[in-house]
Amino acid sequence: MMGPILLVILPFLGAFMLPMVYRHYAQVGSWVAPLILVVNLIICLGLWHGVEVVGAQSMAMGGFTAPLGIVFYIDGLSLLFVLLLLSGSLLLWLGAWHRRVKEEMLLLLIVGGGSGLVLSGDLFNVYVFFEIVAVASYGLSASRRGDACGYAASLRFLLIGSLGSSLILLGISIIYALTGTLNLSHLTLLAPELLQGAAGLSAFALMLIGFSVKAELFPVNTWVAEVYAHAPVRVSALLAGIVSKLAMVVVLRLLLLLYSHEYAYMLLLGIGVAGLVTGELAAFHAKDLRRTLAYSSIGQLSVIAIAFSIPGPLGILSGIALAFHHALVKTGLFMLAENWRGDFSSLRGVAQKAPLASFLLIVFSLSMIGIPPLPGFWAKFVLLQAGFAAGNWYQIAMIVFLLSIVVEAAYFFRFIRVLYQNSAEQPPSMPHKRELQPALVVAVLLLLVMLMIDPINHNLTTIATQASDVKAYIYNTLPAWKLDY
Amino acid sequence: MSFRDITALALLAGLAFLLALVLTEFPYTNGSLNGIGQSILALAPKEVGTANIVTSVVLAYRGLDTLGELIILFVAATAAGMVLSNSPEEEAQNLQPLVRFPAAGFVLQISSHLLFPFLLLLGAYIIVHGHLTPGGGFQGGAVLAAAFFIPVLTSPAGPFSHNVSSLVEGLAGGSFIVIGLLGLFGQGYFLAPLGSPGIVGDLVSAGSLPLLYTAIGIKVGSELAGLLARFTQT
Repeated sequence: MMGPILLVILPFLGAFMLPMVYRHYAQVGSWVAPLILVVNLIICLGLWHGVEVVGAQSMAMGGFTAPLGIVFYIDGLSLLFVLLLLSGSLLLWLGAWHRRVKEEMLLLLIVGGGSGLVLSGDLFNVYVFFEIVAVASYGLSASRRGDACGYAASLRFLLIGSLGSSLILLGISIIYALTGTLNLSHLTLLAPELLQGAAGLSAFALMLIGFSVKAELFPVNTWVAEVYAHAPVRVSALLAGIVSKLAMVVVLRLLLLLYSHEYAYMLLLGIGVAGLVTGELAAFHAKDLRRTLAYSSIGQLSVIAIAFSIPGPLGILSGIALAFHHALVKTGLFMLAENWRGDFSSLRGVAQKAPLASFLLIVFSLSMIGIPPLPGFWAKFVLLQAGFAAGNWYQIAMIVFLLSIVVEAAYFFRFIRVLYQNSAEQPPSMPHKRELQPALVVAVLLLLVMLMIDPINHNLTTIATQASDVKAYIYNTLPAWKLDY
Repeated sequence: MSFRDITALALLAGLAFLLALVLTEFPYTNGSLNGIGQSILALAPKEVGTANIVTSVVLAYRGLDTLGELIILFVAATAAGMVLSNSPEEEAQNLQPLVRFPAAGFVLQISSHLLFPFLLLLGAYIIVHGHLTPGGGFQGGAVLAAAFFIPVLTSPAGPFSHNVSSLVEGLAGGSFIVIGLLGLFGQGYFLAPLGSPGIVGDLVSAGSLPLLYTAIGIKVGSELAGLLARFTQT
């Protein structure tokens, strides 16, 4: 089996070779990156089939067995998010008519790094892939030419991100000093004895803050609004919709394997609730569509954090459901926001000029709020079920969550009302067809999900159960420990 | 005190608290290795065959991490290049030619030319002996970059071809991955060491690791030189 490493290596190789290909065969060049994404998609689906048939698998790098070498862990959870990353970046390729070589290279590097981030079963390796994704996102967020605000926003993103990365590194080095190993399953075996004291838990807190920068969680998400307001919409959609979830998956893995400790769960819950409250209130106060969307994505990612902080498969299931729903809908919304800049009041009467785009916006908003029968309702309902079953603190969090839905509904309906008001002035220009293409695909996917909610629910439950099975993780990645179980 | 100061203080206090917690429990061992370090120390000479144990960790046990580090450098250089480089349209709009610094004096120019072969030699030496002595691809690559960058400093108008540097960079990075893929197709594992470990301490030993270090050295060298040249030219 060589699929998993190809998922990571092919985009890297493509990024190295892309400038040369462009220089000599410009026509071929623009097809290289989409081709790599398609090939990776096929590999990923093949691996998916393999996991369905024989269960989770692992892959050692360089022929060195697990605690010494690096190992990849391939299960439903990791493949699901690799699939999301690949199909999402392919979707954002639709209608993108003019890209620079370097942007394509950075996108390929995000794809390769992100795949490695969710597949890797080694703590330091996770950090390396996280850095690749982070640095490439700093670059992409500054890719609009000559936009001073955009440069300032991405510089701030870079500063907060570097602080986060150094905190992750600090956390990892504390863990290495405490245990002497970096392999996640080896750490899982040692964790109850060595990692769940004060030093181990503070290492978790440091790493959580670091990963939170990408996952847009509470104290370190101040970069979000400005970056998403100024970056090209496709970049905003990619960062908000997809890349942020990858960091969340890493946090989930750490929580499941190393820190199934009450304090760790409570820390994530607290950060999630604080982010939810601040994010939704800021979204309510925002004066233009793209900032509203940016703050609402802070709120949604905090909800995902709350979901992952609920112990047990039901919490994981609801987190995955929310993550996928948000990835779809927020991508669609950002694509629509391309030409709807400026204050809300300048958008009066847009619906007459762009009926299709306005209709799509209503569908996405309703699903985001969670109106049945759209999939958003199902995702939020699963979370409420899981939360109310979980205990005191979680029930309080659920009540905050219900209140936040009211705020969410208020700002989305306010915006929709503006679109349908009559206006004497000439409304601004409409979303270009190019941006409508991915948004339409997203809408179709949303409808498909709505029709197939039962099988999807069933599959995700299987994946969540598999992900919470810590013994299977150890059994598959540490061959030397196979005898013990 | 402004709100900003208070939040910054709160952040620092929080960090200090976490670090104090860590210090209370930290295991102060007297220089002995714990965990997997011990096993690597015992296994590396006969499994991988490098006299410099660090190299066997960097290129064999954690080869994928090294590829990742290489790519982080590549991402950073690409992103910086994208932000700093001018598009063709912008250069057409710029009626004045780019302001270039005047060349340095005669002594500096000549000595930069004199330094060039020695820096190349030193860089190559550090790279090639990476599996025997401290040093290796990253360090040697930085010396190589200096060899190409010092002439740019002394005569900024002189020739520095970004096309060539990015070509070399791509080829070197690609060959690292290709060596890894040879391991994948030949032995079933990505970045599996090829060839026999040989005699520990010989120049030709440790299988394919010196090749990997050469690829790293050339890549780091061309990348850093290109990036620094980009900084001076914008």
